[in-house]
Amino acid sequence: MRRTVTCAALCVVLSATLLGGCASQPDEDAPDSYRIGAVLSLSGPQAGLGEPERRAIELEVERINDAGGVHGRPVEVLFEDDATDEAKAVTAASRLIEQENVIALIAASGTGQTMAVRQEVERAGIPQMSLAGGSVVTAELSPWVFQTPWPNRIVVPFTLAYLRDAGVMRLGLLIDSGAYGKDGYDVITANVEQYGIEIVADEQFNRGDTDMTSQITKIRAANPDALLLWAAGAEAATVLKNNAALGGDSPLQVYGGPGNGRIELLEGAGDAAEGFTFSAGKILIPEAYGVGSEGYEVTTDFIDRFTERYGVGPDIFAGHAYDGIHLIVDAMKRLPEDFTPEDLRDEIEKTSGFVGAGGTFTFSPTDHNGLSEDDLTMYRVEDGVWVLAGEAR
Amino acid sequence: MGTTELLQFALAGLKNGSIYALVALGFTLVYAATGAINFAQGEFYMLGGMLSVWAYANLGLPLPLAGLVGVISTAIIGGVFELLAIRPRKDGDPLAIIIITVGGSMLLSSMARHQFGPTERSLPLFSGGGSINIFGAVLEVQTIWILGITGVAVVGLWYLYNRTGLGRAMRACAVDRDAARIVGIDTRKMVTVSFVLAATLGALAGMAVTPLTQTAFDVGPTVGIKGFAAAILGGLGNPIAAVVGGLVLGMLESMSIAFISSTYKDAIALIVLLGVLFVRPQGIMGRSKREKV
Amino acid sequence: MGRTRIDMRVVVLLVLVAAVVFAVPLLTSDRYQLKVLTFVGVNVIIVTGMALLFGYAGQVSLGHAAFYGIGAYSSAYVVTSLGWPWLAGVATALILTAFGGLLLALPSLRLRGHYLAMATLGFGEIMRVVFVEASSLTGGPDGLSGIPYPSFGGFEIDTAGGNYWLVWGTAALCLALSANLVRSRSGRAMRALHGSESGALACGIDLTAVKVRVFVLSAALAGLAGALYAHVVGFISPSTFSLHVSVVIVAMAVLGGTRSLAGPALAAVLLSLIPFADAVLPGLSRSALDTIQEYQEDVYGLTIIAVMLFMPAGLAGVIRGISKRGRRAE
Repeated sequence: MRRTVTCAALCVVLSATLLGGCASQPDEDAPDSYRIGAVLSLSGPQAGLGEPERRAIELEVERINDAGGVHGRPVEVLFEDDATDEAKAVTAASRLIEQENVIALIAASGTGQTMAVRQEVERAGIPQMSLAGGSVVTAELSPWVFQTPWPNRIVVPFTLAYLRDAGVMRLGLLIDSGAYGKDGYDVITANVEQYGIEIVADEQFNRGDTDMTSQITKIRAANPDALLLWAAGAEAATVLKNNAALGGDSPLQVYGGPGNGRIELLEGAGDAAEGFTFSAGKILIPEAYGVGSEGYEVTTDFIDRFTERYGVGPDIFAGHAYDGIHLIVDAMKRLPEDFTPEDLRDEIEKTSGFVGAGGTFTFSPTDHNGLSEDDLTMYRVEDGVWVLAGEAR
Repeated sequence: MGTTELLQFALAGLKNGSIYALVALGFTLVYAATGAINFAQGEFYMLGGMLSVWAYANLGLPLPLAGLVGVISTAIIGGVFELLAIRPRKDGDPLAIIIITVGGSMLLSSMARHQFGPTERSLPLFSGGGSINIFGAVLEVQTIWILGITGVAVVGLWYLYNRTGLGRAMRACAVDRDAARIVGIDTRKMVTVSFVLAATLGALAGMAVTPLTQTAFDVGPTVGIKGFAAAILGGLGNPIAAVVGGLVLGMLESMSIAFISSTYKDAIALIVLLGVLFVRPQGIMGRSKREKV
Repeated sequence: MGRTRIDMRVVVLLVLVAAVVFAVPLLTSDRYQLKVLTFVGVNVIIVTGMALLFGYAGQVSLGHAAFYGIGAYSSAYVVTSLGWPWLAGVATALILTAFGGLLLALPSLRLRGHYLAMATLGFGEIMRVVFVEASSLTGGPDGLSGIPYPSFGGFEIDTAGGNYWLVWGTAALCLALSANLVRSRSGRAMRALHGSESGALACGIDLTAVKVRVFVLSAALAGLAGALYAHVVGFISPSTFSLHVSVVIVAMAVLGGTRSLAGPALAAVLLSLIPFADAVLPGLSRSALDTIQEYQEDVYGLTIIAVMLFMPAGLAGVIRGISKRGRRAE
């Protein structure tokens, strides 16, 4: 009998601890600050995206608050780690919405987590700014969800146009089997025909694969004019290395997308990256905006401050996060001091001509990404660094 | 499909196969000593590359020395892990050991992320880029290194196993642990040795491949699973079987790409593996265990 | 031979635990906490199935996330694309996963130990490729979104508390049915199988039937959990059903201990809560929360190692130890 009572007592204590949280007040910060939530992948496979995103947001929020905040009140961003796990992303969003009463949510680093959170923000009626590039985020339109990266439906036609101008008619396609690669595959295959390009070979590799020579051998056997690589991870370096080795004197010309705009690719591929040509936003080389233009000023200013604070330059993910936080804050500034999350959503949707690091954003009820091909440019790797590729030759 | 292409696929299979073989050897060694599967084997592979990168980039050591430091420090980590997390489990229950290694794998990869960051790290090619031509097919120079290191490791292991007292003791443990203890072999020491060796082999594979594939805190599980599959395919408990299993798996993958589809290469390899197991439940070279009633 | 006598004290304890568990939504309306605890409930269902398969029958499966996924995808698909009612979705999930368990069990009968583990692992990985490639059914790597809440007839369960009760009610039911099973003749057959296959054969037990039955049952439980998860969260994708998840399910069963249902259930609760420690420990400062998040995986790994080293018989062993001491004290 005593055992039972003890166990029962333990259960009561446990549940009391559990439920004590329901009465917990939000942090004792300045009661009049604007609170924005951020669900990022700070650990797990996509930690390489979450870290620069967090750094960019922290940097910008500090700058915003130093300049007086919004309507004289500070902005506070509360970070949660989704560990690249969808269930965690959902609960993290739930926590920020329920317990921290955030008025907007920046979520998430990855497409899967972004889609998982959607139900939460739609239910709670707060705007969501996604830093993930999957087409589905804004292709499956939700009035509450916005997206800052350049989605494949804009990047792919831009890239294909360049390929056509470069005289590519027979194309080999190599994708990674993850969401980014598959999404790219769908958009590429749907669009190639109108650029006069024929896909003569398409192969796939998995994340974590150590060798892609077999796939490239198969592609080479079909005699393409070039290879289009659509992959975002570390495997891209291996692809370039394998391609250089297999090609000997005449390796296939390789093209890629924004997922390849990473320093790690240059480091990993070394000499094999020479000549690699890829599309991305203009943040990598702000001169692409045109020296003196607003885009140039905004981006170089961000790059300088980020580099000064963190010792490394911002990558495209930091750029997406920069745009995310500023789009929200800018909308907040355009509203009167007291607004509801719904007001905020409406105001974000009215954003027109906002110049960010990734490009110029103009939202509309049917376009929650707001970017266009004008925000993209082609890069080429020359002597181990990126240069503007200029016109196709 | 021309012979050049076929040869190219075979070389890719050989290269991947060697990596899987080294990792599979690690699985087999630990299995032989403990009866358990070491789920942290993939992390030993990862640490071999990661610590070599650290030695090269952070300590500024010349490449060969950095590789050596990487492998040796991983071997030490393997031994320490065994002493701290496996040995205290007095009853040596294989199942418990498996789950401990599961926890160990999470711990090791997480610690690697804290220490080395989430993005991938690179190592320079051992003797520069370039490749040699074999009947029209291309063999990257680094691949020659991988094959060479695998070959040396296998021969070294064979020598250790068959020509030294330590190897004899390890073989005795693999056959019958209790009998080995009776004749005076320190079975607990054999377990530690097996972990150190498994870590060394995994680290050699990781270090040799990193110049080609880069390394990151989370590359362990993918290769670990392939190594496990290779060990099972060949038949657990027999080092030669592990090497055979590794090479067969590597070949299966590249031939799947060649003749069927790169989309399904992993699934096809697994289907073949399952097929083999359903026909020969003990693996290609495994001896069927006759249970004494 | 009849069933083992039921200890009244155990019954009282169980009723008390059940009361506490069911009282939670009445005492808190915090959707975050309820969501976390609902996930815990889903895990308890899967791990109960694994406890039967592994803890009682001694068969290992490293591919159970596949059944979890088949259950989730089949229910989500028939409800969203075919417009079937939710209960039909659950039924579909159960039927398909049971069938899948049957298909896997039959050829696997000859395999032992690590070989069986590899075969089930292989099955799990093959299914993951299917989840990714069969995009017309599964939505591909982008997953399936907009999965509706569970509903009975016209009544939709769209509150966090409602879903909590649904999941935990199902978990309680599964635990009760499993407890009944292990006390029955089938249960004893399972335990005989675990003890010694040749011994069980000698007793005239149809090994094939027992193995297949327990495989199918544990697969169906995982499928049921998947169906619940899909409708409670509203979004699923192939990454939810990875090898890592399969391994964690087995780890929970092992930590829980063999020949026990309470141990694995408790282990499932404990391990599931580690990533959400802030749901159970209220009032933590932001920096404490950040630290917990940063080291969550380390804590997870260390917990697993610690339990395996310091509680050799798993949590079940600890529970049995407590109750033995209790009985001796009286």
